[in-house]
Amino acid sequence: MAWTWFHRLASPPHVYALAARLTPWLAWPAAVLIIAGLYGGLVLAPPDYQQGEGFRIIYVHAPSAWMSLMVYVTMAVSAAVGLIWRMKVAHAVAASCAPIGASFTFAALVTGSLWGRPMWGTYWEWDPRLTSELILLFLYLGYMGLRSAIDDVRRADRASALLAIVGVVNVPIIHYSVLWWNSLHQAPSVMKLAKPEMPAGMLIPLLLMLAGFTLFFVALLLVRMRGEILNRERSASWIREALTG
Amino acid sequence: MTEFFHMGGYARYVWPSYGLTFAIVILNIIWARRALRLASAQARGRLALKANPP
Repeated sequence: MAWTWFHRLASPPHVYALAARLTPWLAWPAAVLIIAGLYGGLVLAPPDYQQGEGFRIIYVHAPSAWMSLMVYVTMAVSAAVGLIWRMKVAHAVAASCAPIGASFTFAALVTGSLWGRPMWGTYWEWDPRLTSELILLFLYLGYMGLRSAIDDVRRADRASALLAIVGVVNVPIIHYSVLWWNSLHQAPSVMKLAKPEMPAGMLIPLLLMLAGFTLFFVALLLVRMRGEILNRERSASWIREALTG
Repeated sequence: MTEFFHMGGYARYVWPSYGLTFAIVILNIIWARRALRLASAQARGRLALKANPP
């Protein structure tokens, strides 16, 4: 009885229908949060006392970097659940994460590079934070490459799940790289167990952007997951209903 | 307004950052919908093949 929710989450028809119903409830709040965050970040937030208007890159760089890590953790956890409990839906979630995570990791790297040029005087440096984030991009690309190299979905799920789980060690390395080693990159100012070191006028738009991107990720995940569920169901009669309904 | 677009001299770093990020947001919407459409079409194809085996 306490586990019925878990069993329902393992049932493809149930999850497929639920995902379709939930998507707009995540996508529209995401759009509102992102628009409010953009207005706050570009117009209302005061310029930084050291970086002037250049600091406004934070409102796209930090959400992209947050996505790159959060999506990877989601992918690795789902892959582990799929592997341990042989849950098709969990594998469908993991497979859906990779292209989303890869694209936002790319955005984090490029926006970071565009921020680094005026502030550090270089687009790129083989710095621990930058290098570990680049490795994250390669992990995503490797995961997607491995999946596309295996025709059978079930075998692809198992092989790529192992890669996703092993690669998760890179996530704390990225997060703590700026504390463990000398890095050009600043230490975390929001994602830490203390009061954020930022005035409210700068912080609130950033939190709106982070929340908006997170909801956007879940909305994208639900759409992609429905496709991945269909790819894993061979002859189920509910597919006929799902496709005509 | 010109001052806003000038971004205190950082325009050539700030605007490409915003442009790229939002291009990726839009592309993700297009890619996700395309992936679902493709999977639905393939599932339909499998159902049709099952109903009328060649």
